[in-house]
Amino acid sequence: MSGEEEENAAELKIGDEFLKAKCLMNCEVAIILHHKYEQLQQTSDDPMNQVSQVFEKSLQYVKRFSRYKNPDAVRQVREYPSSLWKYQLAEFELCVLGNLCPETVEEAIAMVPSIKTRGRAHDDEAIEKMLNDLSLIKKFE
Amino acid sequence: MFFHIVLERNMQLHPRHFGRNLREHIISKLMKDVEGTCSGRHGFVVAITSVENIGKGLIRDGTGFVTFPVKYQCVVFRPFKGEILEAVVSMVNKMGFFAEAGPVQIFVSNHLIPDDMEFQSGDMPNYTTSDGSVKIQKDSEVRLKIIGTRVDATEIDKNISQSRPKWDPAGSHPSRFFCIGTIKDDFLGVINDPTTI
Repeated sequence: MSGEEEENAAELKIGDEFLKAKCLMNCEVAIILHHKYEQLQQTSDDPMNQVSQVFEKSLQYVKRFSRYKNPDAVRQVREYPSSLWKYQLAEFELCVLGNLCPETVEEAIAMVPSIKTRGRAHDDEAIEKMLNDLSLIKKFE
Repeated sequence: MFFHIVLERNMQLHPRHFGRNLREHIISKLMKDVEGTCSGRHGFVVAITSVENIGKGLIRDGTGFVTFPVKYQCVVFRPFKGEILEAVVSMVNKMGFFAEAGPVQIFVSNHLIPDDMEFQSGDMPNYTTSDGSVKIQKDSEVRLKIIGTRVDATEIDKNISQSRPKWDPAGSHPSRFFCIGTIKDDFLGVINDPTTI
């Protein structure tokens, strides 16, 4: 595990493979796993027997910890950075924010320290605006 | 954190499966072999969402089995050191507590629980602040930071996946992720969010 020592999500050091990969928020995973479960229900009497414990636990987890329930709201959050945000957020950073929904700038920086440290000029005002926008999406979902 | 990634695997098939349903056989074997497994690099494979491509089969010398390279998309759960996430407490004892985030188990030692929380034993062991205002017990939801991850090559463990394959010489060693975490930093600890539905 030679790369493990250098890994640090707080500095966005998660490896090229995952930096470039599509990161998913819990609410998005809930939609995917639910869909798969429904497909299994159509082809088998007892879908719960067909899925692994990993699937079961993951489905329970994302159902419990989804902040956005409405698929439209989920899409708005996912599309947020490209439409309104000047500086590109990494997908990983967006997903942590979407999962934890910090309420203040201080909390957001504690949850995703890399917003401030990667040399991008995200100022507090911009972060606050983003948090407000994300919470509006949730309010009106 | 959950990711949607593309992985590749070489599937070995016995010639008895060759015929009209070859593709279905490959896909269903892929799902049985891969879903629910865990690797150090990619974490837990939660679900395969689609098969991108099945390459040409190659006959293996001496056995007659045929190997097909399969490219597929899947949802994985990969915990990272330094990541902050929410988890459900599954067990509390005087050494600390165990919490689960999806398929992964995280241990938070009592050294990494705020000093003003004390362990209380009993029917429902818990950690509570001196004024009783904050309590951590089984089924509590906590926000924690992962401070370390470890992958163990292990015996096939029924707790992790019930659809485990028989030993597959072409596959990876079965393994599990363990994490240790902390709730001692700012904004970590029990989640008391009244707006969470």
